[in-house]
Amino acid sequence: MSDNSDRPVSRRRFLKRVGQGAATVATAGVAGGAMHAAATKPAADVEQRNEVQYGMLIDLRRCIGCQACTVACKAEADVPMGVARSWVEYVEKGRYPNAGRSFLPRLCNHCSEPHCVRVCPTGATYERPQDGLIVIDQGVCIGCLYCAHACPYDMRFLNPVTRFADKCDMCIHRVSQGLVPSCVNTCQGRARVFGDVNDPNSEIHKLIARNPVSVMRETYGTQPNVYYIGLDTTDENTKKPGQYVRVTTNKAKSPKRT
Amino acid sequence: MEHHLMWNWPMIVYLFLAGLGAGALAVSGIVVLWGPAGEFRHRAALVARLGAFIGPLPVIIGTILLIYELGRPFRALNLFTSNLWFMVFNPSPMNWGSWFILLFCIFATVYALTFIPWEALLSGERGKRLEARAERMRSPMAVICVPLAIAMAIYTAILLAAIPARPLWHTPVLWLLFTVSAISTGLSAIILVQRFMFRKPGAVRGAVRREDPAFRVSEYYLVSMKVLLIIAELVVIGLFIMFAHMTINSANFAVQVLLPGGELATTFWVGVILVGLLIPAFIEGFYLLRTAVLGHEFEWPYVINVSAPIAILFGGLMLRYVIVVGGQITGPIGI
Repeated sequence: MSDNSDRPVSRRRFLKRVGQGAATVATAGVAGGAMHAAATKPAADVEQRNEVQYGMLIDLRRCIGCQACTVACKAEADVPMGVARSWVEYVEKGRYPNAGRSFLPRLCNHCSEPHCVRVCPTGATYERPQDGLIVIDQGVCIGCLYCAHACPYDMRFLNPVTRFADKCDMCIHRVSQGLVPSCVNTCQGRARVFGDVNDPNSEIHKLIARNPVSVMRETYGTQPNVYYIGLDTTDENTKKPGQYVRVTTNKAKSPKRT
Repeated sequence: MEHHLMWNWPMIVYLFLAGLGAGALAVSGIVVLWGPAGEFRHRAALVARLGAFIGPLPVIIGTILLIYELGRPFRALNLFTSNLWFMVFNPSPMNWGSWFILLFCIFATVYALTFIPWEALLSGERGKRLEARAERMRSPMAVICVPLAIAMAIYTAILLAAIPARPLWHTPVLWLLFTVSAISTGLSAIILVQRFMFRKPGAVRGAVRREDPAFRVSEYYLVSMKVLLIIAELVVIGLFIMFAHMTINSANFAVQVLLPGGELATTFWVGVILVGLLIPAFIEGFYLLRTAVLGHEFEWPYVINVSAPIAILFGGLMLRYVIVVGGQITGPIGI
């Protein structure tokens, strides 16, 4: 996470720059110059990524699959029946007598290269500049669910009450007041650690530096900010021959769209 | 297996109708711009007119379906306001697709208006003036409408193909598949409508008579074009499956729903390939070859005459169904 100067410019910054370009050339009355002005800016001033990037580290060795985080999230965010922002999957794997069950808490990864933001047709979902969290502006969202398709982690759903896209927002109402998210607060085994992954003095930064961590579906290039210790990426489709794998998602099914 | 579909029939029907309208408009515009002269002139004018009238309708109906599906219809205006108020370029295919829809509906409607027989509708000087103006407008509007229609057809595929998390959609062949299907369904719609119009022997529409040799010859060319499009679509479907099947990871797993043993295999191989492509291709190919090889007159039973284009339209709808549903019931593999 330390060296991030060579990363491509994010969409938000791109839009901002295009917007600035449009503002400067609007007086000259050249509408087509907006793209040009943004494109010809020297690449040297590509801004650094967010100073603060909130993230979460989940130590799967400490997770006991109690679903307390699921319940806490449901209560905290007032998530309607039938849908969930966060849940714990049960992964059963192995072959007798070497079989075991592990738990996989799931939440929005708050990616640094979010596909959902890239496809949003209205700009309703965006990356917060102050902490790098991905949020949805419920006043702009049209509920097309394009973002729900684009998310490789299947974290987004249609809120049956508001009829807009919804997902984990890392409890921005809590973290902006200096608290930790509700799921971290309630975690019985202290498996979840929340903090600024860019701050060298934070607990999460130290844990990421000292432990072998992995993220989900890294090949999609989304650069997730939710890290796992002891993540096993095997599922029913990628298991070895003769191996038994069963993943129970425990995810509430979205009600039928009517 | 029960699946939860986030994009359901409204989206499937919309993709089909948008492709159909775009295809019909593209055919019409191409006939206007590069259509035949001489004895085929009236016949070409009829094809162009039908295509122009068919063009905007399905797109408008499909768009209304989509907006209705949103639940809060007026929120759909947000698609345009974020661009207009903040002057930002949004790279989302749905964003520039909605601008395409807007432009398409406007220009296709204006283009269709230039085909209304104003002189026959309004008597006197006013009708004549409008007719002359419509004639003048037709070609410039066609120049705008043909690229717009092709962009529309491509956009319906890019909308799906832009998403890496849906391996079945995320393929560079999808735009070709949807564009060929769009033009073939658009052409089928034109052929179907005019076969209803010329059902009875001796039927006359404008300057076209059913008994004209020119009618028969141009019908022969239209159907040949359609069979060629069907063959092209079969090739593209082959490429589509091959690309996915030759990929190592998620796309390979995703395409298994279409291959024998998959959940959508019956719908795909019977609905799309057999009913939608092979059967019309064989029926029409038989009558085409009878004319081309044996020199018979190009004439066929009326039932077959209308059922072949209906089968192609059905196949186009089933293709959208298979792709949209198949993409949603499959996903990335591995945790």
